[in-house]
Amino acid sequence: MQKELISFTLNGEIIEVYADPAISLLHLLRNELGLTGTKEGCGEGECGACTVLLDGRAVNSCLVPAGKVKSRSVLTIEGLARGDQYHPLQEAFVEKGAVQCGFCTPGMIMSAYSLLQEKPDPTGHEIKTAISGNLCRCSGYKQIEEAVLDAAEKLKRKGKSS
Amino acid sequence: MSYQVVTNLEQALAALKNAAEKSRIIAGGTDLFLEKLPENLLDVSSLAEALVIEERGSNLLIGAAVTHARAAASPLLCKKARALTEACAQVGSPQVRNIGTLGGNVINAAPAADAAVALAALGAKAELLDCSGNTRIVELEELYAGFNCSAIDSCQELLLRFMVHSGGPGSGSAFTRLAARKALALPMANAAAWLRVENNCLWEVRLVVAPVKPAPTRLFKTEALLAGKPLTAESWREAAQAAMEEVEVRGSLLRCSADYRRHLVGVLVGRVLETAAGRALTGKGEA
Repeated sequence: MQKELISFTLNGEIIEVYADPAISLLHLLRNELGLTGTKEGCGEGECGACTVLLDGRAVNSCLVPAGKVKSRSVLTIEGLARGDQYHPLQEAFVEKGAVQCGFCTPGMIMSAYSLLQEKPDPTGHEIKTAISGNLCRCSGYKQIEEAVLDAAEKLKRKGKSS
Repeated sequence: MSYQVVTNLEQALAALKNAAEKSRIIAGGTDLFLEKLPENLLDVSSLAEALVIEERGSNLLIGAAVTHARAAASPLLCKKARALTEACAQVGSPQVRNIGTLGGNVINAAPAADAAVALAALGAKAELLDCSGNTRIVELEELYAGFNCSAIDSCQELLLRFMVHSGGPGSGSAFTRLAARKALALPMANAAAWLRVENNCLWEVRLVVAPVKPAPTRLFKTEALLAGKPLTAESWREAAQAAMEEVEVRGSLLRCSADYRRHLVGVLVGRVLETAAGRALTGKGEA
């Protein structure tokens, strides 16, 4: 397809980019906009490495045509930190050893972020369901679950103190 | 050479007409995007008229652009179309459920698409519109032309919504599936049932299993056998046996052998009938 003007909100800022609307949101982010935090794993919606939030809901950016995001809101892993301050989920993943090779991590964190937006106090089962579309091939999911629980706790405490 | 997003029906039909069959309708896109995309796309995932979930008279209207996640979380559907919410909660992964639509699940025409199997058990009819606004109402099972091949030409017709009976007193429904994993796996087999109970006996039953034929497959013989039966373990065993004899299944190198799938159909049929009957009795899962 020919390039079109695609205007949407990316990590809180309205942007305009000329791009082929038939490429994936994943390639729009990585190749056209230089946001390489979002990873390409399988490229067919099976692994979750490319997870971003579209209007607040976790989606596989490899399965979303760029044309679909016109006038909508996209949040990527780059949009979580506030300046030098990492998001509690990012800190918890580091502290709990939930990162090994790190390739699945941005997608895992975006799925977890989506969960915590909806359910600030998730059960273990809810965490497992929320990350069921994200594959980690290094070892397992235990530390990842612990990191999500830890971040939920920190966010709750932060919410109470502010 | 375009990607057009439409938000109301008037816009959608005008766009369809202007495109003169050269534009293909896309909704969630999770299946379509894996194929080579057509040149011109008409995105109906924000089409207001296809996003409804409501009860009108004795019918539930469920928009074709409703996502699996939204259907699974709908209080109305959880109360009145339990088989559908159970099916929608098990499609793909959270990411796929957040964007993949019920209409897409049917038009993609995979033989064991979970939502389609549940919709068939609930007796769903589909409302289709052509670019002049002419409407036709079709039984869900008639929307299939072959394995993974829809009878709907998405360059000509728009699937707007599904209509499902909202059940009524004494009815209940259920869906179940078995797959190699709990997420991101197509089912080896799935089953859905809708039934109505009177005086502790089965009065009406719709029983659907897949993958058997291209479309979700009603088990008419097993349904007939169940008419008038009491709600007992013996009835479910008989139904399971009858279902195994009624289906002609194929094996799949990827998922399971034909023998295993046949056995599984029996097990799943027994389970959905028992669960649906339990819901019909307690009234909790009305349809």
